[in-house]
Amino acid sequence: MSSWRQFKAILKKDIVMELRTKEMLTSMGLYALLVLVVYYITLSQAGADFEVRRIAAGLLWLVFIFTSLLGLNRSLVHEKDQGCLEALLISPTDRPVIFFGKAVGNLIFLLIVEALIVPLFFFIFLARPGAQAGGPVWMLALALILGSIGIAGVGTLLATMSVNTKGKDFILAVLFIPIMFPLLLAVVAGSAAVLQADPEYVRTFWQMMGLAAGYDVIMLLAAFGLYEFVLGA
Amino acid sequence: MKQLRTAIVLVAIGGLLTTAAFLMAFFTAEVQQFGTVTLEQEVDTVFPVAPDQFQPPAGEGIAYVRPWFSQKIFYFHVPVAEASFLVLIISAVFAIRFLTSKRAEFDTKSRIAMETALVFVVLTMITGVLWTRASWGVWWEWEPRLTTYFIMMLMMIAYFVLRNSIEEEERRATYAAVFAVVAAINAPISFMITRVIPSNHPVVFQPGMASSNLLPFIIGQIGMLMIGYGIYTARMTEERLRERVEIAKEALEG
Repeated sequence: MSSWRQFKAILKKDIVMELRTKEMLTSMGLYALLVLVVYYITLSQAGADFEVRRIAAGLLWLVFIFTSLLGLNRSLVHEKDQGCLEALLISPTDRPVIFFGKAVGNLIFLLIVEALIVPLFFFIFLARPGAQAGGPVWMLALALILGSIGIAGVGTLLATMSVNTKGKDFILAVLFIPIMFPLLLAVVAGSAAVLQADPEYVRTFWQMMGLAAGYDVIMLLAAFGLYEFVLGA
Repeated sequence: MKQLRTAIVLVAIGGLLTTAAFLMAFFTAEVQQFGTVTLEQEVDTVFPVAPDQFQPPAGEGIAYVRPWFSQKIFYFHVPVAEASFLVLIISAVFAIRFLTSKRAEFDTKSRIAMETALVFVVLTMITGVLWTRASWGVWWEWEPRLTTYFIMMLMMIAYFVLRNSIEEEERRATYAAVFAVVAAINAPISFMITRVIPSNHPVVFQPGMASSNLLPFIIGQIGMLMIGYGIYTARMTEERLRERVEIAKEALEG
């Protein structure tokens, strides 16, 4: 089988399993909704003239970082509990293909959750009468995609490690959040620039997207190179 | 036991050198005019507000004269910090050698190097926080260098958390090595960031430094690296002894 067909097979497996059980999307979506409720509790104390828009980018990424922790853990726990990862290793599949198959699967689920949560977040917290307008939507989408690529790539590597440890979820959070820090900083700054649309926000935005893209490339290369060792252990 | 003796000698010489650097910092090093530090608001320090020509435009904070003795920490803080970066990179190099060779000794070396690096990181943090209080009037500020360095410390702690949560030896070694490599990517970022993003953290070490400043710095740096290598050697000796005890135990039981 060519690498491309192997990749499609792994991706298809994840999607078919998700369509049958609907476990990951429901748990991630529900969790994200619950976080929004907690946000409401927090922001309800801030008063009516508090500008949620100024901190909206940080709040938004906070949902996604925690939701992705949940999703990444689920995604790899399945592989391990049902012995699927071992079967994949026995089959003549190239190791890098396994990495990309899993990472792209995680990326797709994360993007679906983001596509649900971002409009909801906008209508609940930002769409107030007389609210200032933000930048174009495609810019926010670009920030979300660049951030999600990094999350899915590094997350898949770290989650494959953490499912084999004693404290699965906890270990994933401890490893994942510090490693993600530079990327998060860049995408939060980029998204904030778009949401607030201050003068000259376009320059800040592209600077931050450049940083995020650079980080994505470095980390994906590292994760791609190291995944084989993780699977072999 | 020869190695342990080497370790003790190294730590002793390193201690002497760093003490010498510390004393030289006070008695021979010339005080340089590093300029001012701009803080967002008025803070509670004994340091004078800078003259008018150094003040930023109204509403952008207040410039303070940097106190003369805040330079003195440079001869301790910077050698410790640079040693921490270096030892972290060495740990990652051992991690890569472990991944390519699968020999357990490289895993031990990588782990011990990481421990040594963590000691230096904690020392950097302590001296750094003291310096921040003296120079900026706050104990902590979320500025690029401090933030990336703090994150680096969290990663190194996470490395040991990861190790402790895996039972199988080979798997533990491999995962730890993979994480060490990923974590080490942050070291150059943290090192370079004050040269890329403008921040309050001074970049003191640059061309054209007076020799009376450079000399104690280099002595301190050499001393610090010797202490680091001494700690590393001592811990390696302990590890080897522990392995021998384990083998002896197994032989007795078997």
